[in-house]
Amino acid sequence: MVEEEGRIASNCNEVFVWPHCDLTFINSLSARKSYFLPMDRSDVMRGAKAIITEVGELVGFTGRFFREAFRSRFEWRELVRQCYLNGYRSLPLVAITAFIMGLVLTVQSRPTLARFGAETMLPAMVAISVVREIAPVITALICAGKIGSSIGAELGSMKVTEQIDAMEVSGTNPFKFLVVTRIWSTILMLPLLVILADAIAIWACFIGVNMKGAVTWQLFQQQVFDSLVFSDVLPALIKSIFFGLAIGVVGCYKGYNTEKGTEGVGRSAHSAVVVASLVIFILDLVAVQVTEIMGLN
Amino acid sequence: MAGAIDSKMRPTVGVEREVVIRLRDLRKAFGTNKVLKGFDLDVHRGENVMVLGKSGSGKSVLIKCIVGLLRPDQGQVMVLGQDVYALGQDDLDHLRVRIGFLFQSSALYDSMTVRENLEFPLRRHWFAQSAEERDALVKEALENVGLEHTADLYPSELSGGMRRRIGLARTLILKPEIVLYDEPTTGLDPITGKEIVELILRLQKKYGTSSVIISHDLNVAKLAANRIAVLMDGRNYVEGSYDELRSMQDPVVQQFFIFM
Ligand SMILES: Nc1ncnc2c1ncn2[C@@H]1O[C@H](COP(=O)(O)OP(=O)(O)OP(=O)(O)O)[C@@H](O)[C@H]1O
Ligand SMILES: [Mg+2]
Repeated sequence: MVEEEGRIASNCNEVFVWPHCDLTFINSLSARKSYFLPMDRSDVMRGAKAIITEVGELVGFTGRFFREAFRSRFEWRELVRQCYLNGYRSLPLVAITAFIMGLVLTVQSRPTLARFGAETMLPAMVAISVVREIAPVITALICAGKIGSSIGAELGSMKVTEQIDAMEVSGTNPFKFLVVTRIWSTILMLPLLVILADAIAIWACFIGVNMKGAVTWQLFQQQVFDSLVFSDVLPALIKSIFFGLAIGVVGCYKGYNTEKGTEGVGRSAHSAVVVASLVIFILDLVAVQVTEIMGLN
Repeated sequence: MAGAIDSKMRPTVGVEREVVIRLRDLRKAFGTNKVLKGFDLDVHRGENVMVLGKSGSGKSVLIKCIVGLLRPDQGQVMVLGQDVYALGQDDLDHLRVRIGFLFQSSALYDSMTVRENLEFPLRRHWFAQSAEERDALVKEALENVGLEHTADLYPSELSGGMRRRIGLARTLILKPEIVLYDEPTTGLDPITGKEIVELILRLQKKYGTSSVIISHDLNVAKLAANRIAVLMDGRNYVEGSYDELRSMQDPVVQQFFIFM
């Protein structure tokens, strides 16, 4: 992990925090009045350096989480509180989105399947796409927006109002109390939210199927469970554990390293969402490659 | 006044009192802004040392270096015989329990009520206590600062001065051996300010607390400080008792007393 001091000094000098490099970059382009001029090499180098530095620090932060995640004196009370805030409080949002996704997917897929005379495949197709991809990714993106930004903003304002320092001087390890509990809560809650989203989206699919023609719940259920196999469910859940890790780590990293007062808090909240969403897509890409190689697709 | 306290506080008469904070050649810069340029200070057990200095002269930076919140670029910080910057995390945490730190900004935890703020250090460090013991300690801490009725309020519901006093109560609740106060009376009315000074003196008398007090308050200088150090241009410009500094002809020292 980066030492506090060195980091403050270096970051103050280069006011360059990814993903703000994209903004700085665009500003520098528009300042030249033409978007087609070749970019300055130093711009590219600076951008690349900022991204590499940030990735390095994120990896370091994750490493520190794993080093402290299993040490004794665990903050159980705070973990439960965080699970409540990050998991339970996200239920309505996740449920509504999952319902709409399930319904829309069903209604939109029907004409295509009907053209091949494969309308009976509808439940199976929706169930597979929901379980394998849509529920984990949509839930993770929603949580990146809701949980990531709130963690980034909360830790950020604690940082700039010296509350994290106050915790540190009271002899409590703020990393353990604030960061480890929050990351554990997102790791634990994301798979649960994804399972819930799966269930609700499939139920919405049942409603969608029944909007034209009648299918009994029994038959629908049978079609869904016949189509789903273990290798659909397990990789998706493992994937969502990593999504949870990403949301927690990025939110905490951004919040914990907030600088420059209130303005910095807003910036932390927003870049927590942007970076977490990006990391979720990258992880999704990695996951599909891994399952491919392992022959689970 | 200061002398009277001094003689009462001396734990072992005739023996040189233990140095609880020893700062040597402390240097700290932020980029090109050199804030501390070789600061030296000794604080003895049971002694209140006041640090005077202009705004922005680095007083807050100085006490943050003492608890290990800001790593100095150079120099030695010994607290209770231990080198703060050579300690591992666990040892540092143990040392920090023995030090109280009052933040200039109060730094109360916004997501917790006043009671939870005060219980936070208790829950973490005094394991063998029952809920009743905790309640009693919280009640005592709140009575000390005259805010018994605020226990169930959130920090956002308090005034600035009340927040500062709750911050003080939280700092003192573990009965630290050393307390570092960053402007304990600033922003308080003179009556409450005087009460805070009396609280500081009471702690010193009862528990032999040593403290470093950053303040611009005449009451603190006159009543609470055994010794005053003037932080000027990043160094310990001069130190002495209130009366000694008062009678000094030095214009730099005089300007502090003219406005107090
Ligand atoms: N984290 C930081 N990063 C950069 N510069 C800082 C930082 N903290 C303090 N400084 C600088 O150090 C100098 C001293 O600040 P400090 O807060 O110690 O002043 P002070 O003596 O406590 O003033 P006041 O009486 O107004 O509280 C200031 O010039 C400030 O700009
Ligand atoms: Mg200050």
